[in-house]
Amino acid sequence: MNSLTLYLLISAVLFSFGLIGVMMRRSLIAILVSIELMLNAASLNFMAFNKFLSPDTSIGQIYTLFIMGIAAAEAAIALSIFLALFRQLRSINIERARELRG
Amino acid sequence: MKSLLFLPEIYYTVMALVLFLLSVQTVANRRRTFLVAFGLASLGLFVTLFSVKMHGHLFYNAYRVDLFSQVFKFMLALGLFFVVAICDNLEGISEREHAEFYFFLTTCTIGMMMLVSAVELLTFYIALELSSYSLYILVPLRRGTGFDKEAGVKYILIGATASAFLLFGMSLLFGVSHTTYLPELFKLFPNLITQPAGAIGLMLVLAGLFFKQAVFPFHFWAPDVYQGASNQVTTYIATASKVAAIAIVIRFVGLASENNHMLVQVLTVLSVASMTFGNLVAIIQKDIKRLLAYSSIAHAGYVLIGILTLDKTGFASAMFYALAYLIMNFSCFMVIVKVAPNGRNVWVKDLAGLHKRSPLLAMTLMLGLFGLAGIPPTIGFTGKFLVFLAAMQKGYLALVIIGMINATISLYYYLIIIKAAYLLEPDEDEIPPLKVGAGLKILNYGLIAAIVLLGIAPSQLFDIAKAAASMLY
Repeated sequence: MNSLTLYLLISAVLFSFGLIGVMMRRSLIAILVSIELMLNAASLNFMAFNKFLSPDTSIGQIYTLFIMGIAAAEAAIALSIFLALFRQLRSINIERARELRG
Repeated sequence: MKSLLFLPEIYYTVMALVLFLLSVQTVANRRRTFLVAFGLASLGLFVTLFSVKMHGHLFYNAYRVDLFSQVFKFMLALGLFFVVAICDNLEGISEREHAEFYFFLTTCTIGMMMLVSAVELLTFYIALELSSYSLYILVPLRRGTGFDKEAGVKYILIGATASAFLLFGMSLLFGVSHTTYLPELFKLFPNLITQPAGAIGLMLVLAGLFFKQAVFPFHFWAPDVYQGASNQVTTYIATASKVAAIAIVIRFVGLASENNHMLVQVLTVLSVASMTFGNLVAIIQKDIKRLLAYSSIAHAGYVLIGILTLDKTGFASAMFYALAYLIMNFSCFMVIVKVAPNGRNVWVKDLAGLHKRSPLLAMTLMLGLFGLAGIPPTIGFTGKFLVFLAAMQKGYLALVIIGMINATISLYYYLIIIKAAYLLEPDEDEIPPLKVGAGLKILNYGLIAAIVLLGIAPSQLFDIAKAAASMLY
């Protein structure tokens, strides 16, 4: 089976798993991984739309490359902030960070 | 001469490079760093003012320079100038990191300037991330308090999730339209919005943008980040970044044609929820920065009233409101920064006796709060009036009434602050008067004049805003 629907279904599932992970997981690293899942779902969408609907352009590939690069930058910043928080709390469980109540 | 179109961005890139060089020096000199940053930021005002009239396209039409973008660039330059102007006593951030602090403020401004000009989805996304990442780093840069790191973690996690929503929505828009250029999307849009994928795509993109603007269901980072970040960073988030968020929401909502009922309904619900929630929760806040965070959620609702009319007058009124909000909110934050002992947070009761300690600051605070509440003859009243008028012309009477009720509720908590500044006596007998330097006095008089004069005579500015809104596509 090689159709657009299948790819869209997979990316929708990936996105939902990522969103559930962001909301349910309590470890900061796991939340970051879940966010990466959501970004990858968007990348997959771009690639699938590019391949099946406008095959003569390369917009999807370019987008995916940029998303990967930017996600790496994001992970670097996020991990450095996590490290700063870890020095304070000695834990990366988000339940321990409860000074602020939004 | 095409590169001249890019002048403001080039200027701020050079400014960022200068600040970067200062940040690698082994011996930090806070006074010199401040003077360099202040001088460059003031010069930037003239650069952006000089380029207001420019228009053209750059980078294979991915970048559009027109009155709309240039007016917003001037507002962003003004926001940066304001924030740098109150950094002469930057106690919330350790001395070695001052140059980095200015550097990230500048990169954030560059990102936002590119954001208001970008008309291609990838350009847009990268500019958005440039500005967001700078803010993610600025928030946990605070010294001393325990909760800035926690605020930083919350901000980056929620912001990254919002970006993921935005990207997923963009991928759907690309899928149904096969283009990533906004002007081409604009032409195809009447057909796209009737397809489920097109509608969901636009909604997801807007959800990502509403995170940045802190509209109701996507607001929950705002109070924590406002409270956790140092006072100057909060000022920047509350003024400049809100202006940029309004610009990009206008850019995306402007894609839809005028009689798009589904979009209007969604925006109406968000606007009402945002106003009501923000105002009701703000009443019980004790920390002024948290209070202003909830008030910013309410103001995002007022701006949405103008945007959801989906016509030029409405967009122009939202632009005017953005400028008004920049000036009024900055007036309040400037007083908070000055009153804050050692760069700590300010509670409402800390303002007690302010009119004796510094009558000028108390006056600016009062006018800023009156403006936020929408009392004539301030610029805030004119802004609200224009927004409500645009909605009335479209026949959204119920929405306007809800907006007015909300403005009345908000008056309650703004008056609590004014009461603290003017009527409450401080606990201790002798509180030393606040020193207000000559530069700060000029800034105060300028803000007071802007709040009152632009409130009385808004027509010229509103004409510029209307001309800018008609350039949108």
